[in-house]
Amino acid sequence: MSGDAGTRGRASSASRSYAGLLPWSLCFAVFGLVPLLAALVLSFYDMNPLRPDLTHWIGLSNYTRALGSPAFWHALRTTAIFVVGTLPVTLLLAYAVAALLSRLRRGEVFFRAAIFFPATLSMVVISLVFKSLYAEQGLLNGWLTALGVPPVHWLQDPRWALPSIMAMDVWASVGYYAILILAGRKTLPPPLLEAARLEGMRALEVERRIILPHVRPVILFVVLLNTIRSFQIFIEVFVLTRGGPLDSTLTLVYHLYERAFYHFEMGYACAIAYILLFLVGLILLVQRRLIGRAPAEVPAS
Amino acid sequence: MSRAAILLSAVALVSIAPLLYMARVSLGVGNSLPIAPSDWWSGGFTLDHYRALGSGSGMGRFALNSLLVTGIAVPFQILLSAAAGHSLARGRFAAKGVFLGLATAFLILPRQVTLVPLYLLFARLGLLNTYPGLILPHLADPFGVLFMAHYYQTLSPELEEAARTDGLSPSAIFWRIVLPLSGPGLAVVGVNGFLTTWNAFLHPLVLTTSESMRTLPVGLALFAQSEHSVDWGALLAGSTVATVPVLLAFAVFQRQIVEGLLQGSGR
Repeated sequence: MSGDAGTRGRASSASRSYAGLLPWSLCFAVFGLVPLLAALVLSFYDMNPLRPDLTHWIGLSNYTRALGSPAFWHALRTTAIFVVGTLPVTLLLAYAVAALLSRLRRGEVFFRAAIFFPATLSMVVISLVFKSLYAEQGLLNGWLTALGVPPVHWLQDPRWALPSIMAMDVWASVGYYAILILAGRKTLPPPLLEAARLEGMRALEVERRIILPHVRPVILFVVLLNTIRSFQIFIEVFVLTRGGPLDSTLTLVYHLYERAFYHFEMGYACAIAYILLFLVGLILLVQRRLIGRAPAEVPAS
Repeated sequence: MSRAAILLSAVALVSIAPLLYMARVSLGVGNSLPIAPSDWWSGGFTLDHYRALGSGSGMGRFALNSLLVTGIAVPFQILLSAAAGHSLARGRFAAKGVFLGLATAFLILPRQVTLVPLYLLFARLGLLNTYPGLILPHLADPFGVLFMAHYYQTLSPELEEAARTDGLSPSAIFWRIVLPLSGPGLAVVGVNGFLTTWNAFLHPLVLTTSESMRTLPVGLALFAQSEHSVDWGALLAGSTVATVPVLLAFAVFQRQIVEGLLQGSGR
């Protein structure tokens, strides 16, 4: 009889594991997997939701159109400028902040909270606050005027719009990456640092010869994450500039959004989305080659 | 104070000052921005902008929508994540690796890829401008499932096996044994789910076309683009309203937010 109960127990535990997985799998399939595959199929069609009867297969035309479109390359170039401009600054600042935080004897909790908090905010809120700072009559121009410098049209001048968004991005992400790097530092065994100090190593030398090699994987992860996130910039552009002035802040996702929801070129937008997916996949692959570890394996604190 | 503390004070000030500025403008008189430092203190304080939010501007409705969507989505996210995560951690079936692989891929993948098909699907199903339409996409989020699968792997199955030999049914084991032991993990899933749902923008923007169904971030962003001169007081009062719940969650769950972030709950 006990054997009987055991068999039944095993059988029901197997069905139990499916039962638990079912609700989420259903949602994941319908709102995740199916749309993902549908986007690939749609990218081979000419499709306008206002005229669904005219939908027809056009093969790779959406892709060739994107690769031949100046707007697409412009959006890609904007993204590249964004990455090259923000990444080194964000990384250096985040590294410095993490180093300072690890040096504190007291008050780490307070400073960590103050510096990390912006990372939890809605990007819409951040963008609105900076929009007020960058406004013609805003705080920044108020300071410039006080210094006797003529005001700058931060968001209306094609030369300044992108750098203004990039500066905001640095502000919004330094805390986030500083916390990641700090967590990486904390996985270093304290006896190792003690020993280095006892051997008479100077702080800068400890930093360079022991800590930096140790947090290298985290730094590469930050580089990867920041690059991937830069490819997906949308809210900042939507709130601050709508891609303008003169397309100076047109990013890939904003381009996708405009094509899909202003021009109703759904198939074309899906092709752009798949090119984005391909590019992100490419970055991941390169990163894998470089450090040979999955991005999810950041050492936890 | 050490040199590190002095430098960090400067960094902390830079990272908090824009938010203090936001709160200051939201409490200011009139619509103009206080630009001189002296205006910060002498400009006068009033709750007018907050009172105006409640009436007319629609912001009250947006906040209510955000509360509803988040309030319904997050408990479901928690439950689905616990159930699926537990199955993945305890179950022994062939497709397990497939589930884990797909969920991990979705964690990294740019979400914008699903935007157009979701819009078309929801248009077909009549889910545009509905609460289910705003809530359902959040239930597919893979972070909670992966996090809970990992959590249950570190949790010893002994208690569950003992309950099974005592003759408890699998669902009774889940509700009475597993869930009560899941608090710390579910707190991480819950607070990160709250942040992503409350702050969500692109999908709610596309899946709503009627003003009355906008969530707070969408309503704020579109309000900022209105043709007339920008009403900074109202805009930043709305931003402050959108920030207060995040601040409260941060105050209580900072540790869990950081843990979620380290495990890959990036936005």
